[in-house]
Formats: sequence, structure tokens, C-alpha cells
Amino acid sequence: MAFGRRSPRSSRHPPALAIVTALLLAFLFSAAASSTDAMHNNNWAVLVCTSRFWFNYRHMANTLSLYRTVKRLGIPDERIILMLADDMACNPRNSYPAQVFNNENHQLNLYGDNVEVDYRGYEVTVENFLRVLTGRHESAVPRSKRVLSDEGSHILLYMTGHGGDEFLKFQDSEELQSHDLADAVKQMKEKHRFKELLIMVDTCQAATLFSQLQSPGVLAIGSSMKGENSYSHHLDSDIGVSVVDRFTYYTLAFFEKLNMYSNASLNSLFTSYNPSMLMSTAYYRMDLYERPLNEVPVTNFFGSVMKTLHTDSAYTGFLAAHDYATPLSVGDNLDDHFMLKDRSTPRRSNIEKEAQLTPHGWTEVLLEQLEGKNTDTVVMYGLGGMGILLALSTWLSM
Amino acid sequence: MAAHSRGHPAMREREFSPAGTSPYWWIRPCAGPILFLSLLFLFLFLFTAAAASAAAPEEEKFTEELLLRPLPDRKALAHFHFRSSAPPAASVGRHHHLFPKAISQLVKKYHISELELSFTQGRWNYEQWGGFDPMSTNNAKPPGVELWAVFDLPLSEIDATWKNLTHTLSGLFCASINFLESSTAFSAPRWGFKLNEGNLRYGALPREAVCTENLTPWLKLLPCRDKAGIASLLYRPSIYKGYYHSQKLKLRSSQSLGIILDQTLTVVLQPNTVSGEQLHSNHGQLQPNWSMRHLFNRKLSGKCLVSKSSRVFIEVDKGIVDNVNKSGSDLSWSNEFFVLSNSPDKLIKGQNHVEIQSSFLYVYDASNYTEEKPLDVGITWKLPLVWTCTPSPFHASRFLMGSGNERGSIALSFMSTNLHKQISGSPTDCSIKAVIFQVVPWYVKVYYHSLEIFIDGSRKTVSEVVDKIHVIPSEDKLLPGTLEMLLRFPCSMQSGTLTLDFDKGFLHIDEYPPDANQGFDIPSALVSFPEFSSARSYPEIDPVLGSPLLENFQEDSVVKSYTEVLLVPLTTPDFSMPYNVITFTCTVLALYFGSLLNALRRRIGEEERELKKTVVILKKWQLLASILYRKFVDELF
Repeated sequence: MAFGRRSPRSSRHPPALAIVTALLLAFLFSAAASSTDAMHNNNWAVLVCTSRFWFNYRHMANTLSLYRTVKRLGIPDERIILMLADDMACNPRNSYPAQVFNNENHQLNLYGDNVEVDYRGYEVTVENFLRVLTGRHESAVPRSKRVLSDEGSHILLYMTGHGGDEFLKFQDSEELQSHDLADAVKQMKEKHRFKELLIMVDTCQAATLFSQLQSPGVLAIGSSMKGENSYSHHLDSDIGVSVVDRFTYYTLAFFEKLNMYSNASLNSLFTSYNPSMLMSTAYYRMDLYERPLNEVPVTNFFGSVMKTLHTDSAYTGFLAAHDYATPLSVGDNLDDHFMLKDRSTPRRSNIEKEAQLTPHGWTEVLLEQLEGKNTDTVVMYGLGGMGILLALSTWLSM
Repeated sequence: MAAHSRGHPAMREREFSPAGTSPYWWIRPCAGPILFLSLLFLFLFLFTAAAASAAAPEEEKFTEELLLRPLPDRKALAHFHFRSSAPPAASVGRHHHLFPKAISQLVKKYHISELELSFTQGRWNYEQWGGFDPMSTNNAKPPGVELWAVFDLPLSEIDATWKNLTHTLSGLFCASINFLESSTAFSAPRWGFKLNEGNLRYGALPREAVCTENLTPWLKLLPCRDKAGIASLLYRPSIYKGYYHSQKLKLRSSQSLGIILDQTLTVVLQPNTVSGEQLHSNHGQLQPNWSMRHLFNRKLSGKCLVSKSSRVFIEVDKGIVDNVNKSGSDLSWSNEFFVLSNSPDKLIKGQNHVEIQSSFLYVYDASNYTEEKPLDVGITWKLPLVWTCTPSPFHASRFLMGSGNERGSIALSFMSTNLHKQISGSPTDCSIKAVIFQVVPWYVKVYYHSLEIFIDGSRKTVSEVVDKIHVIPSEDKLLPGTLEMLLRFPCSMQSGTLTLDFDKGFLHIDEYPPDANQGFDIPSALVSFPEFSSARSYPEIDPVLGSPLLENFQEDSVVKSYTEVLLVPLTTPDFSMPYNVITFTCTVLALYFGSLLNALRRRIGEEERELKKTVVILKKWQLLASILYRKFVDELF
């Protein structure tokens, strides 16, 4: 508060030289700040249940349990993208309408009064999933359906469904391959959409999904190694299906003991998985991650930081980020460059968006070729070419 | 009404102030009286009074109401009605006290003059729950999501605006409304749905799931959310356990009115009574007793503090009223047939516009109740009672005919309920008008020329029955087929059937949904009877009572009913086939090219020569090695 009052007063009468030096310093500081790493200042969670149909109830329960956990640990709804491939809560087969349980004791209704589902039903496709990650949406898509993260974001990506060697099935009709995932993560890194990313996957052979990842700052954990299955935990005879998977069940068991202020490290989470309980081996890949796991609290990904930045004046919009006439006293510069950087972030993402809208010439042609209308002609040309080749080779062999 | 009361002071004000044309005229009286203070003190009094009465309708208002009604098939209907209204935009700018900001932004951004969005699960039972009252005509909606909007925009911009609107609504209400953006999903009816100048768009998603995630954002538009007032009764599991629930949002906006937002939730519940043997309806059995606590698991503890009025109505149907009247007792809250658990604050008689008396309303004011003394109004039956609700003139239903995956036909059948006899006697040569509106997705290719009409079993020519028809034929992957038709049935008709043939189309492999084997839905058709109005009138009601729920009931609305959603099985490909074909073809090609290359590249003679050469070289090396070995051995020994 005091600082807020001091700076405008001191700026009222200073000599011109002081202003110039102050501006120069401010410029230098902001330049230096952009070259160093951004600090962790916000958290996002993308929670995906990829399976349709009633017998996959447990996948939805898995996702909703994680949703409840991250919400309890402080990530607000507008920073959670929840994708549910089917409606289980109000499914006609559900004898507990508008309720979802992850335990047969029915103590906890996961589908409480305040669930915000961002993508549901037929909307949960590989395309939409990749769009959410990379941020390449149609302009009409509302903000609540986008991940608006920046280079200071920690993102938790949780996926559950049926999978296999290097793929995860979406809706029983599409597949997300490990290459697709790695590519999306790479794009996110290039576009400064995250600082650190934790990918958590509960599916059969989950470890294989991470094999192609290359981007720094990515930590991945899967429920099972290659060749192993992930199993469900227990069956609820009232609901008639299994209600939770083992890996998620033990993850939740770990988190139930924690609150927003706990300091439990990621390492303690990862070592809490007991292969004999999981009936599979939890695998974590950490060669792309720099920080030692025993120093990273789980709340870095499963919770939320709410860092308040003090500004000396009211918010004046994006232009203020480059408005060096804003009077600053030298001592405040350290604080202020954070503020400036913070303001420049939305501007940068704007520029990125523009750049993204006008791709290079050849990509445009390629994209056009791959547009739904032209795929048929491309295929036709391909088939024609193959026919000619076949004819030629037959003629040659005669 | 608001405009009327405001007109008078406005004129009076203009006599004195030259700037009377400004939209801010009601602020001026503060300056006006000062000028005239020395001359006429009386005028000051007049002015302040005028200002007070003029300022009243310019406030944002919120009212909450709940109507409960026993249904003949031992169920209970609950109808929640919340109205928020904002004065014309110019006066308040962008700031709102009670009105949800998200909605006012939506209205301004997309220039909406009317919009209705409904989320429904279950089907309104027109036979048992009535088809001729405001509840069925306004609040019975087709299953899934239905959205229509009238835009105040040039016609060329409407389609693009609609697209953006669907995306915004999908973000607001956590639903896949954005699937309505593609031109194959919405249509522009001209008169079959609602008369308009081409600025109306209509779309429906019959298979959209409706659950708490849709109700939560809807409740967040209310000033008290579900924390206080009538909305606090909305206990999710009991709502979604019901037979029918329809959550609706209706917006009206204009320069003079401002924005009026009506949020309604209609649920049909099975009263949660202790005795289980009452489940099946039987003559001579008591109706189940219920109260709010039975229906919602909650009691009402007072009103939402910012609401202008907060009322609970218990409505008894014409059927009950007739029965009670017949027995000679009066319709007090405690009579021969039933007792209400609390004595009502007021009694209102309702009238149908054809009958003398139709229903009875018992009114409770929620502001009289508190946390310590909650309202738990209910009904206890003393004598068994059997009654029916007034049906619509014809009971409409729709079904599919034919078999196989190639073609079929859609049939619409009308069964007379003989309502016109009760209403108008029976002149023999009268006729009843019916309007049909139906949208069919493009992959069900309807042949509109194949329309056949049967009345009481005999075939009629189209010109005999159809007064007016408007068809927008479907275009593959571009437009759905829209049919609007005005029919004229003879009053004596007992049953009528319309059939339309169709071919089933093929979709591209990418266009099949993941559960394609379940079949594809054709949205409900709407049948309306323009000569019949479901409006109620309440002659004894005080106009200042200001109940939006009853206002809605008094509105002149045409009797209409939605038909069933049709499920059409389409040919679905074996989705793993392409993979099989690709693997198989690749194997064959690999074998073919492999052997071909082998045949082309291989020269057998040369190979043999090469082989011989290598044999010779090998032999030489062996010879050398043996010689060296021998020498080495010799030297050792």
C-alpha cells in the first residue's frame, strides 16, 4: 500500500535526468526479465475421460475424482477443462440420478451441485483434445472451453480410458497416438503455453504413451508399463459396474490426506504406488524434468498458486506494458518488471494468435489439400498414380 | 402496462422542459421543481409524485414463484418460475444489480430480440398431464435441447450471428449447443413455428444429455442462486429422479421493454410416499399425499431477499374443481376431498377462455415464512378422486414405417379427443386447423411429393386437406429438410394419418458418431392448433399482484404439442473394415513388388560366376593359411 502511494508522489517533481535514467533502467530490467525464465504463477488442469458407454462408468468416476481433488486443492473452475465422453450421472441406467460415486460406500457424491463440464459427449474427440492443448480454436469458441495458459503455467493433464501400445482410445472410435501427444506438447512448449507439465495417464500400457515426448519441463506418470494392464479397483453391486481404477484409487488415497497447504512432494506421491496393490507397475518419466522430485510439492500441479502482484496504479490495459512514460522510482523497478511482464503476456498471446491465423504459403496449400473437401481428390490422384506405377512395372517385367 | 403508467408523467414533464425528448427525462424533475418552487408549491408535489411513479418501472426486478399441481396419474407437477428484468439499456449502461450480466451482454452482442433455450429429459404425457393448458403449450418441450432465436439484424448477418450465439451458449450452459452451428443442424421456418420475417432460426439436438452441469449455470443467473428463496428447493437428485424435467430460459428484449428473462423449470415427480402399494393407479384409491418435503427433500425457509415477490401456488385442476362442486361443498383449503397443510394467503379462480371456471389457485406468500417456521405446504387426500385433464383437440403422434436399411416412411397420426364437441356443440361442416412443423436431417431424404393423407381410413387428395405448404428440401451435407404445413381437418374426423416416404442416405466415414449403431434421431415435430388458445384469465385477480407466472398463463398462446423423437437406423459400415483392407492390400502389394523386383534385378548367371570367384578366393586363402600353419608348426618342433 505504502509503495503504491509513494511512487506517484516522487514522480511529481524529479529533474528530467532522473526520469531518463529511470526509464533506461526500467527498459534494461524488462529486457533482462524477458530473457530469464518466467516464474510459476498459475495452474491449469485438463482432465479427460475418453470412454463412452455405461460399462466405462469407472473412467468417468476417475476423472471426476481428480476434478474434485484439484478443485479442493485450489484450482478454480475456470482453470479446469473437464472433458467427459458420456453422461453417467443422468444415465437411465444409473439408479442414483445426478450422482456419481467412486466408492461402494457411497459416502461422496462426485457429481455435486457445482460441476462444470466443458466438453461432453460427442465433443470429446482427438481433434478437440489437441485443439485444447495447442490453443488452436475457432474464433467463436468461448473462453471457458480454452486453456488460456502462459509461460508461467503449471498444467496437469490427466487422461483415462482404454489404451494400448502407444495409443489411447477416444470414444471407442478414434485413437490418440503417442506421436500426437508428443507433437501437441511440443507445440505447447513452442508457444509458451506452459512452464511445467505433468501428464498422468491411467490406462493399459500407459507408459508407452510417453515414449515420444521430447519437450523440456514435462513430467509423465502412467499406471502401467508396456505389456501390463491397468485394473479396476472394485465393483459396486448397486450400480452394477466397477467404480474406480486402481491407479486413480491409490492416487486419491494419497491426496485425501492432504490439504491446500501440505508440502508433500511429488516423489512421495510416486513412491506411494505399490505394484502389488496396483497389479501393475506405475511408471514415471522424469528425464525431461529438471527439478529434483523430492523438492517439488504436489500442490505445484494439483493445487493452485495465487500470487498477488502489487501494482502502483489501476490496470490500464495492454498498452501500459510499453508505456515507459509511467513514472517509476528506481527502487521499485524490481517489483515493476514483474508487473510489466505480466501485462505483456496477453499481448504476446494476441500476437501469437495473429501469427497463427496467417500461416506460410505452403502450409496454406497443404492445409487446403487436407481440408475435408479435397481429401477425396487427393486420394483419387494417389490411386491413379499407383495404377500407372503398377501398369508400368507390369509392362517392364514382361 | 409499464409504458402506460409512464406515458402520463412524461407528457406533463415535457410541457415545462424543452429537453423533454432526452431519454433521461425522469432525472430532470429534480431540477424542474427548483425553478417553479417560488411560484407554485403544488407543482413540486405533483412532480415528485410523478418522478416516483415513473422511476418505479425503471428498476431491475426479480420475482420467484413456484406452482405445484397434483396430476391425475398420482404424480405431482412442480413449476418454478423466475423472472429478472432489466430496464432499457440506455438508462443503466453496462451495470446491473440483479440482472445477470452474462445475459445482457449476450443480448447486446448478438442483437437478440427473442430467444428460448430449453433442456428437457423425458416426454410430456399429453394424455395424462393435459394438452390444453398453458403448462403443456409453453413448458412441454421436446427431449434434448431446443433453441430458437429471433434476431434484430439484417438477414445476411443472421446465420453468422447464430453460429457465434450457439458457441457462446454452449460455453454458458455446459452443453454441446455448438453442434447447432453447422448449416445442417438449424433451419429458418417462416410461419410453421412462429410467424416471422425470416429472422428466426430454429435448431434442436434430441440426444443431448441434460444433467446438473446444465442446471448449475442456469441457477447462477439468479441473484440468490440456489442458496435462498424458492430455488433452494432444487435438490438435484430429486429433480433428476422425476419422470420429466424441462429447464427453460426465455429472453425478450426490445427498446421499450428492456430485457425480460424468464427462467422456468418444470418437473413431474412421483411423490415420495411411505406406502408403496399406492404406486399403481387404481380407481377408488386415494391419491398419494405429498408436501414440499416429500417432493424436494427440503422445506422453504423464506424468500430470496432481493426478490420483489416470492409466492407458492397450489393449483387444482378443473377436474377436481368440478368434482368438488358436484358434491356441493365449497373449495376452501380444507374441504371434503382434500386438505392443504397450511391455510393459504389468497384464493384465485382461473378461467379458461371457453369454460366458465377451470382451475383454482391457493396462494402462499413465502415472505411470511422463516428459517424457524419454514413453509412445507402439501396436500392430503380424504376421498378418492378420479379426474382427467383437458386434452388438445387431436392427439398427435409420429412413427416410422417400413423395414430395411434402404427406405422407409414417416407417419404422423392424429386421434381426435372430441374436444370440439364439448366446446362448440357439433356443427357438422366445421373444420379444425392444424399446423405441422418438422425438420428432418439431410441423411433422411424425404420425398415431399409422396405425401399421402388418410382420413378415417379413406385416402384424400392433398388439395382437400392441405391449405398451405412450405417446403425447404434438404441438400446433402448442407441443409436439413424443413416442412411447414397448414391442414384443415373436418371436425367429424376420428383419426387422420399423413405419410411421407424417404430414402436413407450414406454418411462419410468421418461423420458417423461413435455410437452409430444406436441409430440417428429425427427431432420432434411440432403440431399446433391455431384456433385454440390455452390462455387463462383470472377475473378476480388484482392487476397489481404482479405475478409473472400468472401473466404468462394469461398470454394468448396457441395450443401445441410436440411429437416423439424418431430413431432411424442407418446403414453403418464395419468401421474396422478399412484397416483390414489396408493391411490386406499392403501385404499383397508388398509380395507383388518384392517378387517383381527380385525377378527384375536378379541375374542368375552373374551370381553363379560371383559364387565361383568367391570359392576360388576362399580356396586360395585356405591354402595360404595351411602353408603358414605348417611352417609355424615346423618351427616349433
